[in-house]
Amino acid sequence: MADRVWEVFRQEAEGDPFIHGGSVNAPDEELAMHYAREFYGRRQESVRLWVVPREAIVELDDPDLLQPPFDRSFKRPGGYLIKHKLEAARERAGSPGGGEPEGEA
Amino acid sequence: MTALDAATREALAELLLTLADDEFVLGFWDSEWTGIAPMLEEDVATSSIAQDEIGHAKAWYELLAELTDDDADRIAYGREPEAYRHAALMNHPRTDWAFTVARRFLYETADAVRLEALSRSSHLGIAGLAAKMRREETYHLLHWSAWMRRLAEGPQTRARIVAALERLRPDAEAIFSPLAGEAALVAAGVLPDGLAALRAAWHERMATELRALGLPVPVDSAPTPTEGRTQRTDDFRWLWGEFTSVARAEPGASW
Repeated sequence: MADRVWEVFRQEAEGDPFIHGGSVNAPDEELAMHYAREFYGRRQESVRLWVVPREAIVELDDPDLLQPPFDRSFKRPGGYLIKHKLEAARERAGSPGGGEPEGEA
Repeated sequence: MTALDAATREALAELLLTLADDEFVLGFWDSEWTGIAPMLEEDVATSSIAQDEIGHAKAWYELLAELTDDDADRIAYGREPEAYRHAALMNHPRTDWAFTVARRFLYETADAVRLEALSRSSHLGIAGLAAKMRREETYHLLHWSAWMRRLAEGPQTRARIVAALERLRPDAEAIFSPLAGEAALVAAGVLPDGLAALRAAWHERMATELRALGLPVPVDSAPTPTEGRTQRTDDFRWLWGEFTSVARAEPGASW
């Protein structure tokens, strides 16, 4: 039996992000779904599964693209301190915690 | 439903015992694949489905125990082999993979017809359990149909499937063997359709599926075997020895 590898992603509750559960070997899509159900859903731990043939996954692991050598801390959200700007924007909008600060985030 | 008279209660007990024993014995036969199924994933799937069946048996045994003021474990493990009432289909050993797939196919298609009828039972306990079981059996049926298709496609496996179906089909008829108190159950609406009608519905369903797979459709003119649920084999007596071994080791122990 020529098996293929299928990657299984599971969702624990409606609206949750999918997380990678693991993989199963199966000869076709139908049995892949059955096995995904047995391995990642039979104890009622998932509300939805995504079963994806491994070869359909486009992998990117090039360190030049993902781990460039220069400091990139300014590209992280923590690189800016916007707490005070947010507070000021809320005041302008007239309700604490309400209103949309424009052009500040 | 109104209270049942003694004869109907006795018939009801007989019906529940057949339902429970079918699932129980099949579950044990299929659990024999644990560790040796064709591939790891299938090993887990087969074992899990076998466990589902034992879970269904437990539910039927508990309903029966409530009705007869008995104990579910006592009924499941405390009888002699001759007192089991599963259909002759479950007298056969595990044998090979094609044999197991063929048995599952025959059983699942028959059980689907039977559970559909029971979900309309006037007995609310039965109707409720049947409705729940149908949801799990949908997956079982999908799974074993997928395997029937795979095996029907390969020339070698196809010959094995055809031979296994031929060997097992007459004993699968016993799933619909008449029960002693059947008329009373049908009259009370506990069994909404008689077993002969269910058998006809099963034949129709099986024929449709076999035709779609390009497999020979059995021509059946033989009457339903009346002894279909009382004949026991050495294979079953061996399995009985296995599945009762722990219970017999320490009778009355609480687990």
